Amino acid sequence: MTKKNIKVLLSKLGLDVHSRGVFIVAKILRDAGMEVIYIGNSMPDQIIKAAVQEDADIIGVSSLGGAHLTLGADLMREAEKEGIKESKSYVIGGAISPDDIGKLKEIGFDSVFTSGATREEIINVIKSLV
Amino acid sequence: MTEDKKTIRGILTEAEAKNKRKPLFNPEAIKDLKKEFNNWKESTVKESDRNNWYVTPQTVLGSEIPREMIYSPLNVSELDYKNDIGFSGQEPFTRGVHPNMYRGKKFTIRQINGFGGPEDTNKRFKFMLKNGATGLSVIFDLPTVQMYDSDDPVSRGQVGTSGVAIDSTNDMEILFKDMPLEDITVSIVTHYPSNTAILFPMFLAMADRRGITWDKLKGTVQNDITLEEVVRSGLEYIPPRDCFRIQCDNIEFIKKEVPNWNFINLNGYNLHDFGTSGVTEMAVAISNGIETLDELISRGYDVDFIAPRLAFFWSISNDFFEEASRIRAARRLWFKIMKYKFNAKNPRSLWMRCHVQTSGITLTRQEPYNNIVRASYQALSAILGGVQSLHVDSYDEAYAVPTEDAALLSLRTQQILQNETAVTEVVDPLGGSYYVEALTNEIEKRILGEVEEIEKIGGYVASIEKGWIHRKIANYFNTEQAKIEKGEIKIVGVNCYNSESKTPSINVFKYPEGVEERQKEKLKKLKDSRNNYDVDKTLKNLEEACRNKTNIVPYSVECARNGCTEGEIFKVFKKAYGLWKPPVIF
Repeated sequence: MTKKNIKVLLSKLGLDVHSRGVFIVAKILRDAGMEVIYIGNSMPDQIIKAAVQEDADIIGVSSLGGAHLTLGADLMREAEKEGIKESKSYVIGGAISPDDIGKLKEIGFDSVFTSGATREEIINVIKSLV
Repeated sequence: MTEDKKTIRGILTEAEAKNKRKPLFNPEAIKDLKKEFNNWKESTVKESDRNNWYVTPQTVLGSEIPREMIYSPLNVSELDYKNDIGFSGQEPFTRGVHPNMYRGKKFTIRQINGFGGPEDTNKRFKFMLKNGATGLSVIFDLPTVQMYDSDDPVSRGQVGTSGVAIDSTNDMEILFKDMPLEDITVSIVTHYPSNTAILFPMFLAMADRRGITWDKLKGTVQNDITLEEVVRSGLEYIPPRDCFRIQCDNIEFIKKEVPNWNFINLNGYNLHDFGTSGVTEMAVAISNGIETLDELISRGYDVDFIAPRLAFFWSISNDFFEEASRIRAARRLWFKIMKYKFNAKNPRSLWMRCHVQTSGITLTRQEPYNNIVRASYQALSAILGGVQSLHVDSYDEAYAVPTEDAALLSLRTQQILQNETAVTEVVDPLGGSYYVEALTNEIEKRILGEVEEIEKIGGYVASIEKGWIHRKIANYFNTEQAKIEKGEIKIVGVNCYNSESKTPSINVFKYPEGVEERQKEKLKKLKDSRNNYDVDKTLKNLEEACRNKTNIVPYSVECARNGCTEGEIFKVFKKAYGLWKPPVIF
C-alpha cells in the first residue's frame, strides 16, 4: 500500500519567543519522512488559514509562554469555524502544567507534548493520528 | 574586512610577543617532571586508563574540550604568573576585577521577577526585598517584549504571561511604586535594543515624575542585538543593521544622560541556552562588544568614555570546571582586547564584569526537585568564576513562572552560598589549579579562534545577516539533541535513573486573573486623557530621527513623556526601517 507523506503544519503560538523545541520537533518529523511546513509565529486564525491552504494532516503548535489555554481555545474555535476541526488532528507542545493537559484535550487537542517527550513518542503519536 | 587588516588574534599575538615572559617553573624541574610523568604513566597507570587518557565530557551545553586524566605542572609549564594570572584587581584580571572580590562586596542577589500587571510584580518585588534580595530585576510579558500593546489583537491571551505587562509610562510608575530607586540597583531586562529604546525612556519619564534626577539612577538594561535578531522567535523583525544602530544609540544616550547606568548586557545567556557551546556564547558576545565599541568610537567617543560601563551576561551550565574556567578566560581575553586592540587606559575599561543566570535549558520537568541541585552547582561554579551578580533559576520553571515559594528557594540558595559555605572568603580559590589554569588557557584560545571566524565573515552583524550564526545554532542543538536521545549526554531522571514518579504533583504558578482587561482599561483611559496632538507630533519626530539616522533615544523619551504607548513607538520603527526575515533553519 502506498501512502502519501504525512503533512504537518507547525507554528509558534502567538508571540512566544522560544523556538528551540519546535525546531527540534520539525527536524524529528522531517527525518521520519513527513512533510513539514513551519510558518513561524502566528495567531490562531492565521494558523488555520494556512492549514486549509496547505491541506495539512496535522496542525502542531508550540507554546512555552503560558498562553496555551487561551490561544489553544481560539485555535480550536477557528478550526471549527473553518470546518476542519474533525477532519484534521491537532497537537500542542511546550511548557504546560499538568493541570492544563486535560483541559487542552477537552477543548479538542488530540495530543499534548511536554519537555521530555521522546522522538519515538512524538513520531508514533503523529502517525497514529493520521 | 580588508586583506591587510589584522585580526584581533593577530593584534594580541603581536602585543604579547613583546611581553618578556618569566616562567614560574624551573625548566630543569619541568624536564625532570616530564620524565617522572612518563615513568608513572607507563608503570603505575592501568593500560585502559592510558588508552582513554583524554575524555571529552558530554554535558548539556558543553564545549567538547577533551580532558586528561590528571593535570600537573606539565600542562602549564610555560606559566608566567604575573602575565597570565596575576593578583586580583590586577592585569590580566584572571583572578577577578576587584582586589578583595567578595570580601569587599558580595555578589548581588538579583532574582528576576515579572508576571501579571505592574501591580502584581510590584508586590513580588516587595516580597523579594523583604526577604533579603539586594537588587531588582524585571522581566516583561510577551507582548511587552515583542513590542505590542496589551490591546493589540496579537497580544490576546498573553498579557502578563512570563513577565509583567507594561504599555506606557503610567505602568512604569505602578511597577516601581515605593521602590527606593536611589538606593537599589535595577536590572530592566529589556531584551532587545528596540524595546530598550522604548521601555527605558518610560523608566526615565517615570523618574522625572517622581522627581528623581537621572544621575541618581543605578542599574542595567540588556539592549543586545543577539536576542532580538538571532535567538527570539517573533512576528516582526527590523533589519540587523538598524537594530545594531539602535543598540548603539541607546548606549550613546544613556552614557551621556544617565551616567551610572549600565547601558548594555552583552548577552551570551540566551544564545547559549538556545543552543551553542560556552565558547561560542562568549565569542559572540565579545564580538558584539568589539563591534559596538568600534561604532561608538567612529561616532567620536573615546574608548574610555564607553567601555567602563559595558557588562556581560552569561549562562552557566553543567560542566562545573569548564564553566568556572570560562568566566576566568573571558575576563582575561576581554582585558587583552581592551588593552591591545582599543588601547584603553582607564582600569575600569579593562574589566569584564558580568551577571550570571543558571541555565534554564538544563531544568527538567521530570523529577523537578533535581533542578534545585543542578542550579546550586551552577551557582557555585559561577561564584568560583568570580561573577558580579547572580540569578538562580527555580526548580519549577519547566512548568511555568516560579511560584513565590520556588522563587524564595532560589533566593535562599544564594544566601546559603554566601553565608554558610565560606566560599566567598578567599579570592579565586580555583586559581593555580593545574587543571583549571590549563582549561582556562584552552577556552581562551578557542574563544579567540571563534572571534576571528566572525571577523572573517565581516563582523558580528554580518554574521547575523548571512545566517552564519543561525546555522551554527541549529547544528549545535540538533547534535546535542541526538546525544541526549542516545543517552550520551546523561540527564538524571530523564534518560537515566528514571523513577516511577517522574512528575510528582508540585505547586505550579497560577497567573493572576483579569490582567488583560485591566491593562486594556488603563490604555483606554490613557488614550482618552493624553494630548493626542503631542502624541502624534512626538511620534512623527521620532520617525524622522529614525530616517535621518540621528540618535533616536531623545525622541523616544519625548514620546514616553507624552504618553505614547509601546506599540505606537514600535510601529514607528517598523515604518521607518522596514522588516527583515531571519533565516529559519532546522
